Amino acid sequence: MKLRRSMLFVPGENAGMLSTSFVYKPDSVMFDLEDAVSPSEKDAARLMVYQALGHPAYREIERVVRINELNTEFGLKDLEAAVRGRADVVRLPKTENAEEIHALEAHVARIETACGRPVGETKLMAAIESASGVVNAVAIATASPRMMAIALAGFDYLVDMHTTRSRDGWEPELFYARAAVLHAARSAHIDAFDVAYGNVNDDEGFLREVKIAKQLGFNGKSLIHPKQIELLHKAYEPTEAEIAHAKRVITAADEAHRKGLGVVSLDGKMVDPPVIDEAEMVLQMAAAS
Amino acid sequence: MKIIKQAIAGTLESSDLLVKVAPSDKERRDVVIKSEVIKQFGKQINRVVTDTLDRLSVSSGEIEIEDKGALDCVIRARVQAAILRGCGSEELDWEKLS
Amino acid sequence: MSVTGDFCTVRPKDAPPEMEAIRKLLAANDLELDDRIEAFVVCRRQGRLVACAGLDHATIKCVAVAEDARGESLSLELGSRVVKLAAERGQFHLFLYSAPHNLPFFRGWGFYPLVEVPQLVVLMENSPVAIEKYCDRLREQRRPGQKIGGIVLNANPFTLGHRYLVEQAAAACDWLHAFVVREDASLFSYADRFALVTAGVKRINNMTLHPGSDYIISRATFPGYFLKEKTTIDRSWAAIDLLLFREYIAPALLINRRYVGTEPFDAVTHDYNADMKHWLQEAPSAAPAITVVEIPRKSIRGRAISASDVRRLLAQRDFSKIGELVPPTTLQFLESKFPAAVRVTR
Repeated sequence: MKLRRSMLFVPGENAGMLSTSFVYKPDSVMFDLEDAVSPSEKDAARLMVYQALGHPAYREIERVVRINELNTEFGLKDLEAAVRGRADVVRLPKTENAEEIHALEAHVARIETACGRPVGETKLMAAIESASGVVNAVAIATASPRMMAIALAGFDYLVDMHTTRSRDGWEPELFYARAAVLHAARSAHIDAFDVAYGNVNDDEGFLREVKIAKQLGFNGKSLIHPKQIELLHKAYEPTEAEIAHAKRVITAADEAHRKGLGVVSLDGKMVDPPVIDEAEMVLQMAAAS
Repeated sequence: MKIIKQAIAGTLESSDLLVKVAPSDKERRDVVIKSEVIKQFGKQINRVVTDTLDRLSVSSGEIEIEDKGALDCVIRARVQAAILRGCGSEELDWEKLS
Repeated sequence: MSVTGDFCTVRPKDAPPEMEAIRKLLAANDLELDDRIEAFVVCRRQGRLVACAGLDHATIKCVAVAEDARGESLSLELGSRVVKLAAERGQFHLFLYSAPHNLPFFRGWGFYPLVEVPQLVVLMENSPVAIEKYCDRLREQRRPGQKIGGIVLNANPFTLGHRYLVEQAAAACDWLHAFVVREDASLFSYADRFALVTAGVKRINNMTLHPGSDYIISRATFPGYFLKEKTTIDRSWAAIDLLLFREYIAPALLINRRYVGTEPFDAVTHDYNADMKHWLQEAPSAAPAITVVEIPRKSIRGRAISASDVRRLLAQRDFSKIGELVPPTTLQFLESKFPAAVRVTR
């Protein structure tokens, strides 16, 4: 089970960040060819990301590439670089509907074949950045077996919704979108990422949002600064009680398996497979801290 | 590939390099590398630059590099970007870039 | 999006609101706004201007960083963006003039010193080898002989005075190397001036006419803003221009004498000739001294022929008087390019 708490955004044409981001050990790194890169530097950024994908230090981390939308002059070229560069995941920005995923998938398969990469190896994730995307989240999440995650991108979404961040409380302006994305992800058995927090100087605000995301059930969050990684990981750390309980669940499951029993029980109650998966995830997170 | 116009790629920032290319009327490559770590890494930088230029079949041109301690992968990317811009080329032959 | 600040480009001629802030930032750094600047890269933090760098063709000017913003990464990003701006405008060979104590700052921008007027100004270019490559090309044009002369002409436009000067110089040398200052002056483009010189010196067969060089600095390009006093500015320009000639151009071509017309009218040029003697002959230098030879200008009816007179007469379209001062090739050009106003009678 892959931990996906932190997805660190790294601007594709920033040599300094590309050269050091692996040091911070995020669960995933997202090389950005889209919003972080100006049009006149798209060509150079593409080459930087292609080369960075091959760097040994990045092979240890899940590598995601955010390409430009396919209807731009950059999108397909970015995709060539990402797939040929053996990126683990391609992130499609501003995904509106399932058709876009189908189109993306077809291109990816074509490029995999052309470059001798096993067809199906490159995974996909969709970024939901608009009302349409939210409304189509389920279709998007299930559009392809390559889909491994769906992310909510707050900035553009709020613009589309004609509102802004409330910066305190439970952020009602994001509630429905978060819930929709989560339900889509869970029903498709893929991961869900919460919005990026733009104010790098506001740790308190960041942690408040992380708490909301964690409580809602998000696997993780898009991050725009390395310092957010440790804050996030710490917040996702299971408590002693949670760890203890998880250990008991796993022990019960192992015992049932040993005895050849079809059903796992703990404290007189049945333990379903999802609960066991959850317990494994808790122990994994505990180990990662 | 043939350099037909002047071009630059990269920046002066730490861990990056600035690459300038220009056409040459001579049938040879003139490569000048300046680096703050020329003593420790001069040979390595030169090797990466030469290899990158060879793979792109650049036989003629003036290439000037101002290095600020870049990793090999960054050197490769910036040299490739400058050459492609200098050739006015949009087509990427991925075999030559890896 | 940059962590160091928000960068953007502004053009003075659009009279953007930023100009006031730019002026203030420059003033805080003992600089004045140079009005030849075509574009500025500026950096703001929380709406406040913290850095700027201007571009005038191939020369970077008016670089300033607010004191509280001084730190490596901002300055390097500023430099990167102004170099990129220049490239977008087709300028790849860049120059800048710096106070000597700022030399390390600009080395970080990939600029290398060419010549320095001690304690005043250092000229830098963005290449460790460009001057050497230029001199290599000059060396290929060496000619045999003991007396190799050099002359620099503005020729704005080429007059009989210029021709006389060149003829006298060529006659006194085994070979003469002539340079035309590459500057698009207000009335005549460089291309036109060069064409007129070429036509005007056709008869002279022991000279090479070199195209304008990046290393012969026109007075107009030279930034005045950071030296404040006008005399200092002019002297510094002259020094830079002459040091380049003595240390690089002359040795490459083996020039050992420089010819110049005596200058009765223009005070700036008069001082320049005095500076010429100082920097080419007298000042201590690793490069050999160059003899400065002043040639009295050709006169007509007791008045030295000067290009400024031609320009004045041109404003009046007095082609008959102009014809006394310029060779036929120049006259033809002037008549076709500046036709006299035609009076239409009804």
